Amino acid sequence: MKFTARLGKFERFNHRLSGWLEWVGIAGLLLMVLATVIDVVGAKLFNWRLLGAIDIVMLSQIIAISFAAATTLLVGRHVSVEFFVSILPRLARTIIEVFVSFLGLSLFSLIIWRLIVLGYSYQSSGEATATVYIPLYFFAYAIAFACIPIALIYLVELGKSLTKVRGK
Amino acid sequence: MSPEVTGLVGIGALLLLFFLRVPVAFAMAIVGLAGFAFLSSPGPALSILALDIFHQFSSYPLSVIPMFILMGSFAFASGINRRLYDTAYIWIGHLRGGLTMATVLACSGFAAICGSTAATAATMGKVALPEMKRYGYDDQLATGTVAAAGTLGIIIPPSTVLIVYGLLTEESIGKLFVAGILPGILLSLFFVLTVYIICKRNPSLGPPGDPTTWKKKFRSVNGIIEAAILFALTVGGLLLGWFSPTQAGAIGAVGALIIGLARRELSWPKFMEASKDGIRTSCMVIFIITGATIFGHFMAISRIPFVLIEWLEMLAIPTMGIVLLIILIFFVGGFFMDSMALIVLLIPILYPLLNTLGIDLIWFGVIVVLVAEMGVITPPVGINVFVIKGIAPDIPIETIFRGIFPFLIALIIATIILILIPQIATFLPSFTSY
Repeated sequence: MKFTARLGKFERFNHRLSGWLEWVGIAGLLLMVLATVIDVVGAKLFNWRLLGAIDIVMLSQIIAISFAAATTLLVGRHVSVEFFVSILPRLARTIIEVFVSFLGLSLFSLIIWRLIVLGYSYQSSGEATATVYIPLYFFAYAIAFACIPIALIYLVELGKSLTKVRGK
Repeated sequence: MSPEVTGLVGIGALLLLFFLRVPVAFAMAIVGLAGFAFLSSPGPALSILALDIFHQFSSYPLSVIPMFILMGSFAFASGINRRLYDTAYIWIGHLRGGLTMATVLACSGFAAICGSTAATAATMGKVALPEMKRYGYDDQLATGTVAAAGTLGIIIPPSTVLIVYGLLTEESIGKLFVAGILPGILLSLFFVLTVYIICKRNPSLGPPGDPTTWKKKFRSVNGIIEAAILFALTVGGLLLGWFSPTQAGAIGAVGALIIGLARRELSWPKFMEASKDGIRTSCMVIFIITGATIFGHFMAISRIPFVLIEWLEMLAIPTMGIVLLIILIFFVGGFFMDSMALIVLLIPILYPLLNTLGIDLIWFGVIVVLVAEMGVITPPVGINVFVIKGIAPDIPIETIFRGIFPFLIALIIATIILILIPQIATFLPSFTSY
């Protein structure tokens, strides 16, 4: 199988994976809203608070944001300055794409590595949330896991850009 | 290399990465990480990278952002924007330029429940542009109005940019919200006045729509009640101390959802689409804040913000001169950067300086947001213009930019008035305790 065809197949898999992860993110977002509303309505109307509501919101936010990050990148929602590159010649743009993809891949590889290290340190020290003592290590590992598709997006982009440069 | 020079090189590298189309959030993280590693050592820099990500993603104060963004998305999915437009149209659509005036007013109304400028422009554009086309409105006037009026989304509360500004400067989000009300109303009136002047000079640009009866007018008020209730519940509840900002946003999101269900507007696909839109926007904003936090650590050890203070003290420029200089920086920066990114990048650097000068940060926040709004509609990175171009692909982008020009003048005049009369922004917050 040709390199570009393999790359295309891999890209499609990564898109599907990112899409699935986004659903998890949406579930996290809705859980944030639900926990907050239950807590507020309970406190205002029934003099009852949802134990650990803040913990739930904080940890759900981790899931919401990190698991939606790959799709956010894929659909171009991360803000970037578009103007300057678009006026450059095609070869210059391709070289810039190689550089940017490499930077993105490096950044997210580092992030994944360091979050695994952080998760391990939380696991070893038994770090947990303040109110209901939910272990934090799981969530550090979760962010690391959610960043894998982002690193893969940049890996695919790097492969595609290098193919374009080689084709010149 | 001294820390200060390293800081300046870092700022240069950051701008270079921006121009190379690296997403703003990632660029700030890359430069922040590299700069911190250079000035200290790689070990602490890598530890800070992971800790910053974990702490920002799990930050409870930041959870206000997804809540209010989701509220705006659900409000759109519930058709609130369309009913606002219909009401405004019934009341003033029969006037010369009435449809564009209705668009401005509907944008003001939608801005009161949605904190995003692009979302306000997009949602109102989808409703208003086909109507204006149907009545033979000039393309330049129609598209320019929607793009410009969309900017009301970040000045009229709730505003995501003001929330982020409040988090960065540790100012009360409630007070910032209230501070945006009068400038938002002022700006809306200026935009309406702009349309009036344009159509007075050339009536063919905005022909009047069909007249409506008073009975129909009063019946249409029903269309704004839900938006008013939602605004009163969230912003009012926040100011009365019933809710924290996060709670107000969550209540608003559920409120918009209930309105959509009660109106039978909110189908399952619309709900999922709104949730996707909400999470993607939230993700983008929180990533930018995280990137800025990492970059902020680098700036702190480079001592750039403190050197900036010392330098400006040496120059002995009066406080107002410095404020004007900062406003100019925001104005120029707005040409190239998104308003949120610009504020997240510059405020941490300028915050110590603003504090030293004793500037009212509530007033300054409103000014900065107004100036950043100009960037949203000016070339080359006028996000609202691209949003409108996406809705009306047959209209050349130059036409939209030309249409914006009169509104840009209105925006500049509003900013000047606010600089000269700060009480417009500070009057209402003086009555709030939260």
